[in-house]
This record gives sequence, C-alpha cells and structure tokens, in this order.
Amino acid sequence: MNRLNQLPTLRIDPAEKRTLSYRGKSLPGVAGDTVATALFANGVRIFARSLKYHRPRGLYSLDGECANTMMDVDSIPNVRTENTLLKNGMVVKEQNVKGSAEFDWMGFIDKFDWMMPAGFYYHTMHKPAAVWPHAMKQIRKAAGLGEISPDYVMRGRFDELFLKADVTVVGGGAAGMRAALAAAEGGLRVVLLEARPHLGGCFDYRVSDNGDGTPLYQRARELAEQVAATTNIRVFTHAPLVGTYSNNLITAHQVGSDSDSFTERYIEIRSESIVVATGCIERPLLFDNNERPGVMQVGCAHRLARTYGILPGKQAVFAVGHDLGLEAAIDLFDLGLKIGCVADIREDGQNPDLLMALADRAIPVLKGWVAAKAHGKTVTKVTLTTVEGTVKRDFDCDLLVASAGLTPVTGPFIMAQAKMGYDNHTGYFLPTELPERMFPAGRLTGVGDPRAIEASGRLAGLQAAAACGVSLNGELDAAKAATAALPGPERGCKLVTAPVKGRKSFICFDEDATIKSVKQAIDKGFDVPELVKRFAGVGLGPGQGGIPGHNLPLFVAKYTASSATPKPTTLRPPLVPTFIATYAGAHHHMFKRTPLHKSQKAAGGVFRNIGVWKRARYFSDDFDCREEILNVRGNVGMLDGSTLGKFRIHGPDALKALQRVYVSDMSKVKEGRIKYSAMCNDDGCVIDDGVVVKRGENDYYFTTSTGRAGATVEWIRYHTRFDGWDFHLVNLTDAMGVINLSGPNARKVLAKVTDADLSSEAFPFSGYREITVGGSIPARAMRLGFVGELSYELHVAASYMQAVWDLLEEAGAEFGIRNFGVEAQNVLRMEKCHIILGQESEQRTNLLDVGLGFLWDRTKSACKTVGAVALRQAEKDPNRFKLVGIRMEDDDRPARDGALIVDTKVRGYVATMRKSFTTGEAVGMALVEKPLSDIGTRLEIFEDECNGVRLYARVVKMPFYDPNGERMKA
Amino acid sequence: MALTLTCPVCGKRNGYEFRYGGEDKGPRPAEEGMTPSAWCDYVHMNKCTAGVQKEWWFHRDGCGAWFTTYRDTVANLEVDAPEVTE
Ligand SMILES: [Zn+2]
Repeated sequence: MNRLNQLPTLRIDPAEKRTLSYRGKSLPGVAGDTVATALFANGVRIFARSLKYHRPRGLYSLDGECANTMMDVDSIPNVRTENTLLKNGMVVKEQNVKGSAEFDWMGFIDKFDWMMPAGFYYHTMHKPAAVWPHAMKQIRKAAGLGEISPDYVMRGRFDELFLKADVTVVGGGAAGMRAALAAAEGGLRVVLLEARPHLGGCFDYRVSDNGDGTPLYQRARELAEQVAATTNIRVFTHAPLVGTYSNNLITAHQVGSDSDSFTERYIEIRSESIVVATGCIERPLLFDNNERPGVMQVGCAHRLARTYGILPGKQAVFAVGHDLGLEAAIDLFDLGLKIGCVADIREDGQNPDLLMALADRAIPVLKGWVAAKAHGKTVTKVTLTTVEGTVKRDFDCDLLVASAGLTPVTGPFIMAQAKMGYDNHTGYFLPTELPERMFPAGRLTGVGDPRAIEASGRLAGLQAAAACGVSLNGELDAAKAATAALPGPERGCKLVTAPVKGRKSFICFDEDATIKSVKQAIDKGFDVPELVKRFAGVGLGPGQGGIPGHNLPLFVAKYTASSATPKPTTLRPPLVPTFIATYAGAHHHMFKRTPLHKSQKAAGGVFRNIGVWKRARYFSDDFDCREEILNVRGNVGMLDGSTLGKFRIHGPDALKALQRVYVSDMSKVKEGRIKYSAMCNDDGCVIDDGVVVKRGENDYYFTTSTGRAGATVEWIRYHTRFDGWDFHLVNLTDAMGVINLSGPNARKVLAKVTDADLSSEAFPFSGYREITVGGSIPARAMRLGFVGELSYELHVAASYMQAVWDLLEEAGAEFGIRNFGVEAQNVLRMEKCHIILGQESEQRTNLLDVGLGFLWDRTKSACKTVGAVALRQAEKDPNRFKLVGIRMEDDDRPARDGALIVDTKVRGYVATMRKSFTTGEAVGMALVEKPLSDIGTRLEIFEDECNGVRLYARVVKMPFYDPNGERMKA
Repeated sequence: MALTLTCPVCGKRNGYEFRYGGEDKGPRPAEEGMTPSAWCDYVHMNKCTAGVQKEWWFHRDGCGAWFTTYRDTVANLEVDAPEVTE
C-alpha cells in the first residue's frame, strides 16, 4: 500500500525500511510502525479470532485496549501488536485459530452462541462430573488466546529503576506537558510518563487550529521541545503506568527501543505529588456486529492516516457521538477517504464550524442517527437507523468509524482509592474526592477546547508544585482564573446502545460478552456491575475493562431502570500487561562464597545452594561419598565450615542477653570450655543450636547454624527490646572462616603447624584454645565432635583462611588428608545421631521432641528465657513427636529423607537416612508419635511413587556409631 | 513498596528495608504464676486494629534498630502518634 508519505504529522520514517515475517511471507514495514500498522498496511484486516465464538477481529482502538490485535510475536503470546513497535525480523503469528485468522475452521462456533448463555460454564461444568475432564480439554483447545510454550526461554535485557521525584506527571499530551513545564519552573524534579512512544497525546495527529492559529500537531511538537529543553524534567516515553499505590507511589514499565540497553524495564517512582493527565479513550458504540474488522474508533482511523500514513479504508461511514468524530471525518475526507454519510447520535450541540466544513465538502450528516448493524465478515455494508429505531438506511462501505463518546482514563485515581461518582454533564465517572496530592488535568476533566486543555495542565502542574511546598505568589490564582475564562467541560453523549436486541452487540470483546448476555445476567439477579462483570465475563480480559468499563455501568443502570446513580467497576494493577521478566529484573542469582571457594572448586567440589551460600556438597561423582566418609573415619579429612554463623557479644549486659535467648544457664560457661546450647522461640520450638565460648568478662563468641546467621542480631535485639540493656552484637560470619579437621590423625596434622600443646590433657574434648598456626596466624580452636571423630574446629580470619588451609593440606599430605563435603558430613554426624535443625526438626518441633531437653535449665525463671514457659507446658503433653533412631529391615533399601511413617494415617516422617558405610546398616533418624518411639517398634514407611509397596523399619538405640564417644574424646 | 517508615536513627526509608515485629504488647510478663492460656494470649493474640496501631519494626537493611511507630493499617501508611486522650 502506498503510504501518505508527506504528512507533517507522521511518526514513521518511510525511508527506513523494516520487515516482518507473517504466515511464511516477509512483509515490508517502516521505522515507527507498530506491528499492527505494518500488518494493516500490507492488507491484513483480520488479526485474530475471538476467545469464545472465533469471530474475526481487527484494528479497533490502536491503543491495545482489547485482545483483538493480540498476536504471538517472536514466540511470546498475547503481545499487544498495536503497542509494539516493529523491529526487523519479527515473526508474527495469529492466535486461537484453526487454519488462519482469515479462514478459521472454528468460525462456525459463532452460530451456536445461543447454546452458551451468560454463566454457561458455571451452569454446566459440574455434572456429570466424569464428562468434564474430557469436555474441558476440548473447550481449552477451542477457546482462549495465546499459547505459552513451557520450554520458551525469555530473551532480552530487563532492568529496574527506582526514582524519587517531586512531581510525577502521568500522560504526555498537551495537558501533561504543560503540567510538567509548570511544575518544573520552580526547579522541582519532575518525571513525565507517556504510554505511547512519543509525546503529544490527542494533539499529536490533529491539524485543526488550537485557537491561536497554530495547528495542534505543531503545538504538541513545540511543547515537546520545551519539555526536552527543561533539564529538570525526566521524560519516559513508551512507558505506560502500571499501578498507583498509597504514599503516591507509582509503578510503570518502559518498553525499550532498538537503541535502548533494555528490552523492558520496571519503573517505581516515589513522588511528593502527582498530576494525572491520562486523557480519554473512546466509549464503544454498541450495535450489531460492532466489533467486525472494518469497524474502528475515531482515534484509530484518524491516527492510522495521520501518524502512520495509512488511509484506513476507501469508502467510509461515520457513526459518532462527539465532535472529534466530525473533525476526523473532515480531515480524512481531505486526505482522500470517500465518506457516504456521517451519522451523529446527537440531535444538537455540534460545533457549528465543523458542520459547516462537512457541508462545504458535501458530506451528508444525519443528526439523531446511529449505526444499527455492520454486514460482512469484514465490513461491506452498514445499516443506519434513527436513535429511536424508526427508520433504517443501508450504506455500502469498507470502513465504519464508530464511537459513542469519550471515556476518561481514571485508572490512577481508582487505584489510589478515590471514590468515583457519575457526572451528569459529561457522562463520565470521575473522582468525587481527590486523593491527597494528586491533581487531574486535561481531557479527563471533561474539557475539549485545546486552550482549556493546556490551561488545566498548567494549573494542575502549579498545584502539584504548591503541594511540594513551593510558594507561588499569585501564579496559582492567575492559572485558576485563566482556566475559568476558557470553555469548561463539554456535554457528553448519553446514548448507550443502538436500538437493537443485542445478540451480536459486543460490550466486551475480550470475553465475547454481548448486550444479550449482560441482560441474561441481570435477569438472573446479578444486577450490579461488579456482579455482571464476573458472571457474564465483562472486562475480565487482558484489556482490563478498556472497552466495557464505561458502557457496562451505564447499561446496567439503564436496563435495571435504577434511580441510583451508576456505579463503575473497579480496576487493579497491573493496568497494562507487564512481563514477569521485567519484575524479575536483572539480578537473578545472588549468593555468597566462602573464603575457600576457589580452592574447593579446584579440588573438584560440586557446589549446591545452601541458604545464601554456595557450598561444596561432594568431592567426586560418587554422591554417596564413600571415600570421603571412610577417610574421615579411618584417617583425616578437612571441611570448609565457613558458612556457620559467628558472633561476638560483649558489654555489661551481654550475659543477660545470652540468658534470655539460650535455654541453658549461660552463667556456667567457663573460660577455656565450649558450651553447646540451643535457642527456642516463644512456643518452645527449637530454632537454633550452636556453641558459646567465653573470652573475657561479659565477652562471648558464639556460633549459630548457617541458616540462622542472618536473623540472629534481629532475634536477640527483639527479645531484649524492652530491657534497655547495654551490649554489642557483632556479626563475624563473613569476617571469620571455619575449617573442620576431623579423623583419628587430626591431632598429628595440626601438631605439625602449631606449637600449642594438643595433648588430650592440655586440650581436652570440649576445650577451647586460642592458638597460633604457621607461626603467626591466630586461630580459635574448638574440640568438637560433630562427625564423631577426634576433631578440631579452627576459626580463622577470612583473609587467613586459604593460608591455614594450605598449611594443613601440606601437613596432612603424608597421611593422605582429603576434602570432605557437606554430604559426607551429613552422613557422619547422622551415624552419631547429632541433629541438624531443619533436618531433624521442622517448624513445630520443640526442644524436648528432638531430645535436647537436657540443655534446658529451669532454675533461671528470672531471666525470662524465650521458650521456657511453653516448654513447661509441653512437658505435660503426651501427644508430641519424638526423635528416634531407626534401622531398615532391609539394609540395602534405605528410605528417602522425608518418607512418611504411616499406619492408618501419618504417624511421623524419616528425617535423614543413609546406608552407613561404617556399619553396613541402613540407619537414620525419624520423628514419630510418642507411642511409636519404644525400642523395637516396627514402623511402616510410605514413599512417593512406591506403588503401594511399603518399607519397614524398627526403632533402634541411638547413636549408631561409637556410642560412648571414645573416638571423639580421644 | 508504597509504605515508608521513619527509623529513629536513619530517618524516613522505604518499607522494603524493614521487618515487621508485631503489635506493641508491652514487655514479656513474668514467668511466675503464668497460666498457659495467658501466655498463649501474650504470644499469639493480636488486636488487629483496623486503623491506627502502635507496632514494632526492625531496620533490617539499615542500622539494625528495633523501634515502635504508629501505622494506619487501613491506608497502610505511617502516621503521627495519636494525641493522648484522658
Ligand atoms: Zn535505621
């Protein structure tokens, strides 16, 4: 198609070619085209088939207000092609069709609409129950929009912006630009958001005079230049508003162009005040076949020609209810469109200049007439009628420009919880009370005169500045006076529907809801818009009520003959579809590495995410870790335990704080000894365990489990928040690393790198010593027995970790020292029945359940120990779980971690179980109900995918290895 | 997050930086003479005021302070302390 290449209003660059692929063909487009306009320029009229009836659909609003032009673009379904700028090589496909959009094998469904009244699914989808899984499959195939491919990987770069602004202006039309300029005068930081790819709004494509002798499009460009020259206005184009929240928080997203570094980005703006200048969309005219391809709104037809250089048809009929329709008819006629007739719903009230211009061009105007029916798969003919339905006339045409009136875009107010009311003069739903520091401007207030639009923008901009504390010295009053002197809100057209029965009059395109189905819903008693919306499916589609939002409450009020004022349905974010990828942003994987990460990796470590950390779980392909385990049991191994939480607490009240959170009597912690203890929550459930050492008077060093490190400071401060105690907490988790040296040869290895006396007399089990390694490196050494062997845990400054590790590795070479990972440690400690919280416990497991009751000191009530009161009560409860040792009847078939212990119901679960290389038995720990906890009790185990076959185990004594602890105390 | 909170140390900050610590119920009661139900009430029962309530917040991604403030739970906005009426 030849474009109107010379128009001064164009937003395309006809010289810069683009191509897209559609139905196996390469089609030409130009820079500035949207996917939709490029297809339209290539003769595509049917873009998609509708959700339920498979009716053909085409361009309607050109702003993506309905699903009509949603297509699959580059394998992304439901792309709003009217809002998507064409990029070279895009692959575009139709959705919800069998065959093609042009010829759809499912098109016959439209004839069977009588079988599917409002609430069809609710009525029929329950019996007979057996049929519905099959029926649902067929319906799913026949109905719906785009299809998502589970294997599709989202490409592109996604970004986030978090802005702070004084004033944010939503809408970059004339009013929005004037508001931004006015607000920026005093030096405030202003953000201007515009949904379309360019500023200009409703001025952008119009050639009519602004009242001062300047064509509107030119005025829009002047204002855009002024905005661009104002350094304290930050403009985001192609950035639709997504949500408004309390505290004047706004979210939006911005679509990146070819030259941008992002595909789409999330924008969150915190502003002191907000100007809403979102303008108007058009209120659809309801008549039979009102959504046929070839029927489009005024702005759509006008912008196709003026913005994209495409004449929307050859022979047109207009059926409109506002002056913009008349203006468009005149302009499009001058651009070469033949117009058979303009039907104006209004009997009077038209701008006389426009009527004169129509008469000059010999375009017949029928006042008080409206479209009744569109004919043809794409429009070939239209029947017009008087508003009363008394007389009818047919006109041949391939374009029907139809629009009942205007609808203000009030989403930002609705989402900011503004109460909405019906304004009788304009016929709009407008906020009855404005949210704090939020100001309306431009066409959404009802004004249509270009000067009035600009003046209202300036006024709102100044009001927003004043709300930021700028003193305006009379400028505000002047702006108010200027606005008052100009024409005010215009009277809106009140017609809701043409005089038709409405079986094929679509009030909501996305959900294929007709006037008839709305009537059916109301007849069933769903007589308020919010109920009709849900029962008949009006405005639940991806367009978020853009098409039916205004008409539905008007129609309901009319049909129910309600004397109450109509009530609009509500809106919720996101106002426009946003990619999940945009919300996810750029940083998907964040984790911490231990100081030994590199050398662990070089040593063949296989890493897993454990909490916020990457940890080496295995050091070979053998995920049973046989070699790692046997080496610790028989020789010596080293583990990187740096992820342990590590803290210093000191100050006059440090001991009091420890007494509050630990269940044991912490006053008994002696210097040179480690104290193992646990923390509970107020329900007595155990949340953490670790060791505490005393390094001086009111100066302690303690460890927490890896997962609790992040919450420990918060926890201790929370539980002491009323006491006013004087202590300091220092999180040393990242500052210190931990090496666990374990095995019968551990002492020999360590002795080679330190002068400290490591004999069992000088440094016994449970001892704590501060030693020097390698001549000068200080290390805090603890003799622990987590894995059940002679074991030294060295806490070393992170920066020295690698050096100490290397020293030990070298010293251990003659013994065959080797790494062991988290999984080997897990098995080793399991054989000793040393618990790991989170594995041998869950949310409801208390200290007593896991057998740690011995840690609890009940003589320190005065300390108000967290959890003590609940433990006292739990002690008397016979119905609690108990941690027991279990052994499988078949040692070659250990149950999986998490397998359920059952009889007629669930009685517990397996916490950890492995085949022990040390003993050859399949052993583990389980939490079971108390009656099942006696030694010898036979347990029945259920696993996922067990096909009805149960496993059996018996309760056995704990631990399974070295019951007297001789090895770890050696 | 639309909510902002005013940390006594760091000032007004984005609500994302804080962790909610529950309604203000006063100090932990003494253990002596505590009945199970009274204890359970202290730990678990909340007033759930629809309106302004005093509550605890922790400046997790900031200075690490626990502090109380007043929030209108309906609008989800921090508000000034209500004037004491006697
Ligand atoms: Zn703070």
